[in-house]
Amino acid sequence: METGSQTQTTDPGPNPIPNNPNNRNPIPNRSSTISGSSPVWHTIDGPLELSKEDLVSYARRFYKFGFAMLPWLWALNCFYFWSVLLHTRSFPRIHHYVVRSAVGFAVITAILSSWALTFAIGGERLFRPVWDQLVMYNLAERLGLTGLS
Amino acid sequence: MAQNTKPTSILDSLGEEIIRIIAPVSICMFMVVILVSVLDSSSSSSTSASVNSIATIAYAETNSDSSWDKFVGALLNSLVFVAVVTVVTFILVLLFYLRCTKFLKLYMGFSAFVVLGFMGGEIALFLIEDFSIPVDCITFVVALFNFAVVGVLAVFMSKMAILVTQAYLVVIGMLVAYWFTQLPEWTTWVLLVAMALYDLAAVLLPVGPLRLLVELAISRDEDIPALVYEARPVTCNGSGAEGRVAQRRVWRDRGSENSDHESNNNPNANSVFVENVDSGSNSTSNASVVPDSSTESNTLVSGHNDATLVRAEEGWVPERDAELSAPLIDPRMNIQPQQSELEGIGLGSSGAIKLGLGDFIFYSVLVGRAAMYDFMTVYACYLAIIAGLGITLALLALYQKALPALPVSIALGVLFYVLTRFLLEAFVVECSLNLLMF
Repeated sequence: METGSQTQTTDPGPNPIPNNPNNRNPIPNRSSTISGSSPVWHTIDGPLELSKEDLVSYARRFYKFGFAMLPWLWALNCFYFWSVLLHTRSFPRIHHYVVRSAVGFAVITAILSSWALTFAIGGERLFRPVWDQLVMYNLAERLGLTGLS
Repeated sequence: MAQNTKPTSILDSLGEEIIRIIAPVSICMFMVVILVSVLDSSSSSSTSASVNSIATIAYAETNSDSSWDKFVGALLNSLVFVAVVTVVTFILVLLFYLRCTKFLKLYMGFSAFVVLGFMGGEIALFLIEDFSIPVDCITFVVALFNFAVVGVLAVFMSKMAILVTQAYLVVIGMLVAYWFTQLPEWTTWVLLVAMALYDLAAVLLPVGPLRLLVELAISRDEDIPALVYEARPVTCNGSGAEGRVAQRRVWRDRGSENSDHESNNNPNANSVFVENVDSGSNSTSNASVVPDSSTESNTLVSGHNDATLVRAEEGWVPERDAELSAPLIDPRMNIQPQQSELEGIGLGSSGAIKLGLGDFIFYSVLVGRAAMYDFMTVYACYLAIIAGLGITLALLALYQKALPALPVSIALGVLFYVLTRFLLEAFVVECSLNLLMF
């Protein structure tokens, strides 16, 4: 409370609440004097994350799997290693994969969303003959997908 | 001046643990209520005859039968369902006993994929049709494929971010619960009661399959092969700072070569599982973590585990297999022995409470079915279920063994539904009409 040593009061150690990813800063600016070892968390999970050796292979594996048309996997990879993205110099090996995942996700999302927005906004005017064939609800009706199979 | 040892009050740790279980249950129920109210209002006529599943195999309810006929039909349906669930659970126990890990893991992954891909896709299509969202098929297929595959990875191998895994489990529970609410009304209610009784029997009787499963898992110190929602353990203040990476207890069936088996497709485990792990240093253990056996290099937690698993098991939920020509029934096993094994929930121990996915599903089914009547029943049933869950957690702390999560909540939920629908509503409506209270 009163001691000016770091923000220890407001930072309850590894943050158990999973929805503020930025709290888990790997920068060991807290309690470095107190406990002597400051935990450095690479990921969102903080003290519950995987072991160090696993982290690199994890990042690499997810990066490679994302090439199977899985941009969402890339996005989750970046989400998990958010602190690595923010502090680029600290974790070179992981950072290598995470940055590429972020780039891949951004590229594919840009392409997909531009296509989807064009389709949605342009609508019938742009794609006169094929719009009806491509739009999902018509397609679903035609294929009988929603017949509560 | 080291103020990192601010003592945690019991409200912090105990309350935090309970919140971390109640929050996802509430989210699941809320989403099912929203789905039910949005999708049901549009398709008002697709009531009874539309769902053809194993739960209506004995009797298909129609609108013209008398109440007694409906009741008897529902009873037959429920008996068939519970029988199937029992058989499948015993098969699962057998497979677990024979250490068929791979098969169970694959089955669970496949089941998760079917739920997320097919049922999720179907519900998404319903929503698209209702709101006339101009999505084209390419985007839709890509998005659905992504969602389903990542979900299978999250459930199958536990190496994702905890939040992602939890979110996907809640989504799976929501989808299955929505499907269950499509059953005929009497069948749904009798099925809920039957599953609650089955859960009670299967966990507490010495011959019950879930109890056998729990004991097997404890004796081998493995995870139960089932879909289990694990809440984050609460970390105490001072002890987290030792640079010790507390590994979360991953269900080793996920991706690890350990002999954990994931139960079959979509096992919905209703288990409240609190694991208390003492690290070697034996100070306040803050994370209930058991080292993943696949990472043998750093076993941070020594073999000094007091892993008392509390799991409540649930029955299986067979999947609707009318169109799916799967050779198996594809039952979803809700096996979840509810165990709360720590010396008092949250009292200085770091247990991760685990609740089986079947619990999520059946709570949401109850609330979803209540939503089909009116929102008043939703509020009443929600409060009843949360109260039941709280009572169960308290019993968990008291008895420290596997407990079924369903009976208390379902009993209270059904009771409150009946009372609200037949008594409270008349009272409130009359009061409102006479402008006494609104």
